[in-house]
Amino acid sequence: MTVKNFIGVNAVLYFYIALGGAQAATASDASGPKLPQLDIETYASQIFWLIVTFIVLYFLVAKIAMPRIAEVLEGRQERIEDDLDKAETLKKEAYLVKVEYEKALSSAREEAHEATRRAQDEIAKHSAEVEALANQKVANMLKDAEDRIDAARTEASSEKETVTDTLEQNVARDIIGDTVKKLVGINVSPEDVNEAISLTLKGRVR
Amino acid sequence: MASPVEQFKLKSLVPFELGGVDLSYTTSSLWMTITVVCVTAFLTLSMRGGRLVPGRWQSMAEMSYEFIANMIRENVGAEGRKYFPFIFTLFMFILVGNLVGMIPFAYTFTSQIIVTFAMAATIFIGVTVIGLVRHGLHFFSLFVPSGTPLILAPLLIPIEVISYFVRPVSLSVRLFANMMAGHTMMKVFGGFTVLLGVLGVAPIILLVALTGFEIMVAVLQAYVFTVLTCLYLNDAIHLH
Repeated sequence: MTVKNFIGVNAVLYFYIALGGAQAATASDASGPKLPQLDIETYASQIFWLIVTFIVLYFLVAKIAMPRIAEVLEGRQERIEDDLDKAETLKKEAYLVKVEYEKALSSAREEAHEATRRAQDEIAKHSAEVEALANQKVANMLKDAEDRIDAARTEASSEKETVTDTLEQNVARDIIGDTVKKLVGINVSPEDVNEAISLTLKGRVR
Repeated sequence: MASPVEQFKLKSLVPFELGGVDLSYTTSSLWMTITVVCVTAFLTLSMRGGRLVPGRWQSMAEMSYEFIANMIRENVGAEGRKYFPFIFTLFMFILVGNLVGMIPFAYTFTSQIIVTFAMAATIFIGVTVIGLVRHGLHFFSLFVPSGTPLILAPLLIPIEVISYFVRPVSLSVRLFANMMAGHTMMKVFGGFTVLLGVLGVAPIILLVALTGFEIMVAVLQAYVFTVLTCLYLNDAIHLH
């Protein structure tokens, strides 16, 4: 222990100084006592009062001063620990709140995503429906138009045929009537011709 | 000019005798009493508020308390707690005794070899008794450092025994010599100042420095005395 050694050396040094002082005192005052500290007469009184004062101080310090200091220090320690505990609890609480907040945030975000997707789906569905409907309508209209055109065309062609047929029949009837008249000399009405033709056709069919 | 050691002479203030033994109340006793009052006042008045955030005085009282508490914890350990009140009282008594001795015209009772020796001897006897009670005869293994070769034992044991019994002497002489030398030196420089007249400024400057130094020594020696007490106590409790 270097500190101890240092203190020891120091003490020895001081002791020599003190002895030097004592010798100086002897030199200057040869008849008197060397050092007042070495006067044995005073020892009993000093020891007695040392014991008395020290014991008094011991009880004052141990019974009055120290419990008070210990109490204050303990109170402070408790307070600090209490505060630390409280801080810890609050920190935990804050953490929980943060976690909850993050959860809420993420769920809200997800919900938002979901809503957006749903809306997009709906829009897509709706537009598809509308398109399909429009297509259907257009197709229907086209078909109607085509039908109408077809009908018109058919009608027109049948009309044309009928007209042509009628015309041909009439012409044929007239020709037949004329021919018959010229050949046989009988006036034949177109109705007769018609009847004859139909009879002939019936017979052929039969 | 008065001798520089004349300041250590005791004056009987209240003559008092008991069974033929002179137990007069002297200047030394007066300053012991003043020390007791100062320590008590310092430790109680400063803690009166007992505030959560201490003021200067309360802080000083708490610091001295914790200083000694830490000293015991580090040097003696948990078993030292029992002796905390004694060691704290010892420290405060020596510290304040040294410091009030620095007041001009005051008396430094720690500059009396018999006072320091009485304290050191009490500690020495007390520590030895504690060691003997705790460890019985095993206590004497204190004089055989662990790991000593058997051949060296005859040489080492006497050294250890001597060093053990010198403890009260070194402990008391250290404090006494420091206090006495410091006050003697101050007295010498004070005498120079008076002798040199105008030129006495130089010793006064030295005296100022010396006063600061002596206040440091007063605190340091109180600390040394206490810490050595702790070490001796530790030896008795833990046997090295």
